Amino acid sequence: MDEWKSNPAVKPHKKRSCYLAWKYKLMNQRALRKLCQTGAVLFLLVTVIVNIKLILDTRRAAYEEEEESAQDYDDEMLNVEVPRHPVSNKKVLDVEVYSSRSKVYVAVDGTTVLEDEAREQGRGIHVIVLNQATGHVMAKRVFDTYSPHEDEAMVLFLNMIARGRILIFTIKDEGSFHLKDTAKNVLKSLGSQVAPFLSWRDMWTFVGKKGGEVYGEKHAKSPALSTWGDPVLLKTEVHLTSVEGGKCWELTRRRKRFCSKVEGYGSVCSCKDPTPIEFNPDPLKDNKVFDVPVAVIAGNRPNYLYRMLRSLLSAQGVSPQMITVFIDGYYEEPMDVVELFGLSGIQHTPISIKNARVSQHYKASLTATFNLFPDAKFAVVLEEDLDISVDFFSFLSQSIHLLEEDESLYCISAWNDQGYEHTAEDPSLLYRVETMPGLGWVLRKSLYKDELEPKWPTPEKLWDWDMWMRMPEQRKGRECIIPDISRSYHFGIVGLNMNGYFHEAYFKKHKFNTVPNVQLKNVESLRKDAYETEIHRLLGEAEVLDHSKNPCEDSFVPDTEGRVYVMFIRMEQEADFTTWTQLAKCLHIWDLDVRGNHKGLWRLFRKKNHFLVVGVPASPYSSKKPSSVTPIYMEPPAKEEGAVA
Amino acid sequence: MQKINKNVVLALLSLTSLVFLLFQLYYYKFYLSQKNGAVFSKVKGSQSGPDSTRWHVVRKFLGLISSHNIPVYLIDPLILGLVDKDIEQIRSSSDGPSPECKYFCAPRDFTTFALLDKTWKHEVGLFRTAEKMGFQWLKIINKDPRLDGMDDLSGIEIPLHYIFKLASHAIHLVVFYERSGNYLWHGPLRLKQHMDRKFVPFRKLHFGRYPGAYEKPELLLVSIDDLKVQIPKNPSSFLEEMSHSRFLECRYREARAFFQLYPDDASLDAVEFRKKAKSLLHVAALTLNNLGVKFWLSSGTCLGWYRQCNIIPHSKDVDLGVFIRDYKADIIPAFQKAGLPLKHKFGKVEDSLELSFQGGNDVKLDIFFFYEEDDHIWNGGTQAKSGKKFKYLFPKFTLCWTEFVELKVHVPCETLQYVEANYGPDWKVPVKMWDWKSSPSNVQYNGVWPVDEWDDVIQIY
Repeated sequence: MDEWKSNPAVKPHKKRSCYLAWKYKLMNQRALRKLCQTGAVLFLLVTVIVNIKLILDTRRAAYEEEEESAQDYDDEMLNVEVPRHPVSNKKVLDVEVYSSRSKVYVAVDGTTVLEDEAREQGRGIHVIVLNQATGHVMAKRVFDTYSPHEDEAMVLFLNMIARGRILIFTIKDEGSFHLKDTAKNVLKSLGSQVAPFLSWRDMWTFVGKKGGEVYGEKHAKSPALSTWGDPVLLKTEVHLTSVEGGKCWELTRRRKRFCSKVEGYGSVCSCKDPTPIEFNPDPLKDNKVFDVPVAVIAGNRPNYLYRMLRSLLSAQGVSPQMITVFIDGYYEEPMDVVELFGLSGIQHTPISIKNARVSQHYKASLTATFNLFPDAKFAVVLEEDLDISVDFFSFLSQSIHLLEEDESLYCISAWNDQGYEHTAEDPSLLYRVETMPGLGWVLRKSLYKDELEPKWPTPEKLWDWDMWMRMPEQRKGRECIIPDISRSYHFGIVGLNMNGYFHEAYFKKHKFNTVPNVQLKNVESLRKDAYETEIHRLLGEAEVLDHSKNPCEDSFVPDTEGRVYVMFIRMEQEADFTTWTQLAKCLHIWDLDVRGNHKGLWRLFRKKNHFLVVGVPASPYSSKKPSSVTPIYMEPPAKEEGAVA
Repeated sequence: MQKINKNVVLALLSLTSLVFLLFQLYYYKFYLSQKNGAVFSKVKGSQSGPDSTRWHVVRKFLGLISSHNIPVYLIDPLILGLVDKDIEQIRSSSDGPSPECKYFCAPRDFTTFALLDKTWKHEVGLFRTAEKMGFQWLKIINKDPRLDGMDDLSGIEIPLHYIFKLASHAIHLVVFYERSGNYLWHGPLRLKQHMDRKFVPFRKLHFGRYPGAYEKPELLLVSIDDLKVQIPKNPSSFLEEMSHSRFLECRYREARAFFQLYPDDASLDAVEFRKKAKSLLHVAALTLNNLGVKFWLSSGTCLGWYRQCNIIPHSKDVDLGVFIRDYKADIIPAFQKAGLPLKHKFGKVEDSLELSFQGGNDVKLDIFFFYEEDDHIWNGGTQAKSGKKFKYLFPKFTLCWTEFVELKVHVPCETLQYVEANYGPDWKVPVKMWDWKSSPSNVQYNGVWPVDEWDDVIQIY
């Protein structure tokens, strides 16, 4: 600025020679210059002032606002979300796979994704599926190919995996005994050189891409029948693809998310006609259970949960927004399944162990259900290993008013313990029973809140929640309503109290209703007093069977249809189930404890005839026994025989 | 050369500064209009007079909402206040066009609506449509308090507030949840770190500073300013409710820590007592609410709520507090009618009133009446055999809602001071032997009732 001001004094010296010519110009220029100078200075000043004001104003405003929002509306907790798996831009994964008699492990980039050194467990071929773009584990399975049929399951599983996924195999202990040629060929087609020649107690590891390159394979032959092959450790590198292939589908967001995370759910993620994940079953007319919350109790059996939710969401009258899935533990895959179907899921920190853990999980789930739906008078309780009948909600809708009005009822259950293929017949028929079957049932809120919740077994008591609920202190003589043909089907064969043999013997042949819209008959006769009238009517019309014959034989019941028959067995007092248990055993129905009785009476079907069994003299219905008939007594077998049966 | 240079430089400078100045002015104006007097209200003054932008934004929002079948209702205190003045007219008026925009054009920064969570499915479609319509939106989620009390459930986070912004107006949508105790709850509005703090002037929101508890409102479909909208049937009582709606969550985490130190009594007696006390509390709450008498959890019951979120099993009674100004003579007959006969009555309305009712099964209900002074609040006690009077002093407090044994009830908002006044700094340690005359740390001897008044002030049944 100073420079500018000193200039005008210097300039006129140069213009003297042509004064006139310049005078006007100069004057003009000088005035102009002065004007310009003043103008510029003014402008500058104004600009500066406005600038400063603006800066001050905005800063003040921003500051105030910051303070404003900060004061009351800040989350107290610093919710800095740390990504669970730090994402690296690495294109190569280091994979380590170990196979030995007693231990297997798989490490991906230094992170152990599988480690199994438990004794007597995890025998067979372990399979891990990785996402070829991210390296995330999408599925983890073990197939005990030492045992029969497991290789078929493995083939099924491998066929369901999308092309391009990375597969990791490792054997623990033994994996070849029941590994048939079909399975070996599938492994061969994946690029394995060794698979066709895998034999007894060989150790084997293999890493490859489905439908693509092989990243590595190692094998150790067992030198002799009695020994195992040496442990093998395979170290290899897997190149990640930049983008996931198979951008073939027009997938919904939910499906896309699911399919990029997990594997092994078959056509959910297939390109052509993927299995639907929306079901839209017909609504029920006059649905009385539309607003009853449904609690699905789940553990870490995501495939089961997937099957279960499919059947549940396909049932007529289902309200998805009333469903909550409670997962016992922080397992990701079950949660992925829940999200795939757009349902809400809640995870529960495991408390205690074994049965007590299940029991605590039940309690938390039930309490949470009634908290989330404070208006609800009932809750439907389901487990993850049940198929749900298409008319499940229709069945409940027709019977739920009984639970509301009849104080002598404990629950409504979809499960008939004695309802096997050969002993259940009538989908419209209901019973009252003194036992609590569970496996898909309705709980009254008042029962839970006033009686069960306050004295629910504490974590240190290793009780089964259902056994506890069946105890007389809890049940207090109340009964449950069940259908003749179950509205749920128990398909789980892996579980806490479950194994393949047990399932085959007691659950596989259970009858399951598949008929939609069954109209239940005579629902009012299930009320306490009406039911007695009904039983007396039934016994009145029932034909007494020939008690000289062997009740286990088929010929015990005539070859008729639609008749009502009655037989009398010996039952000295209320708790004497000696003969009943033997009868149940030979009829191939539930005999592990007493189920399905009502005042010493059992109702089932034989050869399509209604078949009543009355315990004499303990049952109040004993009076219906003609004096000529001697109640049948069946002796329990000696101990060693019992084990065989 | 120098001259030309100078002139050119001068001109350039002027030009740039002019451009700059113009830009600044433009920006200033833009800034002002964007903030719409929110921040610069001091500078520019709040816009007064009708402004149809707000009406248009509300209309667009209602269109968005109804296209997705989401039932919302208006809870904006400013508009409800205006509506309340003309409520009769609005109720009776038919659908004819209204002459002027009287309500939705009123000056304000937000329009607040409520949404019942259970009446809609959380669809993403709504937000896509909103964006297409030009709305910017913000969703505020937080932990589900209905699962907070539960030991180890990792609850899902639930949406508590939505804000839809269009032009210079914003819609605040408060999500209400039904909770055990038959009431509606809305959550506090807390911004997470990554959120845009300047999305709207959050401080001016009418809902969200604290969580709130409300009765389920009866709704009325009305047409205001040619817009069909649901409002609470009785706006004035809603506004009244709103002014005392602050809700306190039980301190579940501290309660869990307490039970770690002092394991809960799970004996049958304890279970039985809790059941009885709970049902007594439910009867008492129903009776007092029907009479319109405001009450709060006091003494041991309040301590139980504050310390362990449950009834203390070794307490022998249920204690409630009532301000003496809310006293009604009907209280005694109403309780009698509810099956709770009067057990004793100490004091009189003017001084140290206390009522005890006999619950159905051996649990006593005590109602203490509280007297407000300038700098403290007190209630009285009377020893029956000696006629001695006691006075229990509390610092001043206000009332908040909370949930206790599936009941929406009041507790003092300043609970810690209240409990500490009553039980001293060691209130965290359970004490089984408690003497109401000497144990409380706020007890004062308050003389003796004159003998001639005894018949009146000491009544035992």
